[in-house]
Amino acid sequence: MKRISVTVSLNRSTLQFDDAAYARLEIYLAESASLLEGDPDPQEILGDLEQAVADQCTRRLRPDQTVVTLAELVPALEEIGSVQTPTASAAPEQTTRGAARPLQQVSEGAVISGVCQGLARYFGLNVTALRIFAVLLLLLSGGGVILVYLALMLLFPYAPLQPGNQPLRWLPARSRSFMEFLRAKLSLATS
Amino acid sequence: MIVESKLAPIRKGLLEFLVLKIVGAQSVYVPDILRRLAGTEFATQEGTLYPLLSKLRREDLVQYDWQESDAGPPRKYYRLTDAGRSQLAALDDYWNRINHTIADMGH
Repeated sequence: MKRISVTVSLNRSTLQFDDAAYARLEIYLAESASLLEGDPDPQEILGDLEQAVADQCTRRLRPDQTVVTLAELVPALEEIGSVQTPTASAAPEQTTRGAARPLQQVSEGAVISGVCQGLARYFGLNVTALRIFAVLLLLLSGGGVILVYLALMLLFPYAPLQPGNQPLRWLPARSRSFMEFLRAKLSLATS
Repeated sequence: MIVESKLAPIRKGLLEFLVLKIVGAQSVYVPDILRRLAGTEFATQEGTLYPLLSKLRREDLVQYDWQESDAGPPRKYYRLTDAGRSQLAALDDYWNRINHTIADMGH
C-alpha cells in the first residue's frame, strides 16, 4: 500500500499534493511564518501566499494531471519568492556579505535534521565519518548525545533550501517544518 | 551591475511609491501589479508584494474589494483610499523635487 496524495486546503482553493511536494510546501509556509515574525498581520499575508501557491500550481498542472508534484511546486515557489518584509532591508545583504559560513542545519541529504551535515560543512569534515563518530558517542554516552542533538536542532538555523528538485527525506522535512513552527511560537512567547 | 547594486536600497524604497502609483491608476489585483513591474528595474515577486500591500492597508493607504473571477476563487482588487491618494500626490511632488535637484547638480 502507498499513499498517493494529500488533499491540501490553501486559503480558498483545494489541491492534491504528492508527499514530496507537500513536505516542501510545509517548509515554505513555516519559513514564511517565521520571516513574518513581528508583522502585525501575518495571517492575512500567509493566506495571500497560500492562494498564490494554489494559483501558480493550478496554472502549471497539465490538463490530465490532478496531483501537484515538485515539478510544479518548485518553479511556482521560485516565482513567488521568499517573504521580504518592507522594513527588513539589511537582512539579505548580511547573508551575502558574511564570508564565513554560519553553523546551520542542511536539510538536503540529511538523515535526521541536518545537524551532522551542518557541522561537517562548517568544520570541513567528512560527513560520513562524523555520523559514525556520533553513533559511537551515542552508544558510549548512553543517550546523552540525543539531548545534545536536540539542543543543536534548536540552536542552529536552517540553511536556505537550494533551488532544484532534490526532494527531502521524510524525517528532515518534518523536523525542519516542526522546528520553524516551534521557533515562531517561542519568539512569540518571549516578545 | 555595480551601478545597479549602488542604487538597490533606493529601488527598494521606491517600490512602495510605484505600487501606490499602479494601484492609483486603476483597481488591480496582484498579478496585474507584477505584470506592470515585470521587465522594469522594479520587477518583484508575490513574496515581496503581499507583505507590502498588507502594510499599506494597515496604514490605510490602500483598500481591497473582493471580485468574483471566471476561473478560480474570488480575487482581491486593490484601490487607493483618500489618504493613499493624497500620499501619492505628496510623493509625486517630492520625487519631482528630488529629480530637479539631481538635474541641477553639477551645472
